[in-house]
Amino acid sequence: MTSWNETQQIEAYIFGIAEPEDALLFEAKLVLDEELAHKVIAQQKAYAAIRQFGRKQVKMEIEAITQALFTHPEHVSFRKKIIKLFSKS
Amino acid sequence: MNLYKTTFPIVAKYISRMGGNLDEAKDVFQDALLVYYEKILLTAAPLNNDIGYLVGTAKNLWLKRYGQSSPNLSLDQVDIALTTEESPSSTRLFRFLETAGRKCLELLKSFYYDQMSLQEIADEYGYSGARSATVQKFKCLEKVRESVKQKSLVYDDFME
Repeated sequence: MTSWNETQQIEAYIFGIAEPEDALLFEAKLVLDEELAHKVIAQQKAYAAIRQFGRKQVKMEIEAITQALFTHPEHVSFRKKIIKLFSKS
Repeated sequence: MNLYKTTFPIVAKYISRMGGNLDEAKDVFQDALLVYYEKILLTAAPLNNDIGYLVGTAKNLWLKRYGQSSPNLSLDQVDIALTTEESPSSTRLFRFLETAGRKCLELLKSFYYDQMSLQEIADEYGYSGARSATVQKFKCLEKVRESVKQKSLVYDDFME
């Protein structure tokens, strides 16, 4: 079995999309193979890390839009409108 | 950008009326946009009220972070918990992920976060088809997984 095949099996198991008989077989392997169990845990963390990376990218894009709206000259009326909302005492 | 320009004033007006300031408004609105983005990725159908969803999310986030605890606010109105996930150590996370290679990381993000199809990924990244994109995706995932294993101690520091 090639390594990416195993990675695919681990994914199917983690996402709960493996066929029932495959999932059973996989669970049996997990009990016997400590290395495989470590891989499952590490792969779950990898998904979490990818998600954080994705979020960070989106946040940076949103931040860039915010910057543009609050600094570029063409958005001056928008900016004034917003500042006015917060200026009344 | 248009959605931002239309919706932010509504949110800002609300937050101003509640006694909040502009920085708070920006802060919660940016997070609300992120929630909105993830929401439309996960629901195949378009939302029927984009502005309403965004405004509602931003209000809830503001109340949760800055508002006085209000008896009218039930728990299920504030189901969005984004606050602590982005820790100050995100630069460390980023450096750590970089070891898998920039292209790998972008590819994995496209599939697992942006929910692009394998065919779209094949087109975007220049693979011959969905099948070879699949192989590539798993090889990249394996790289990230292996560096997670190697650096698990450091990694746990900022994931827990």
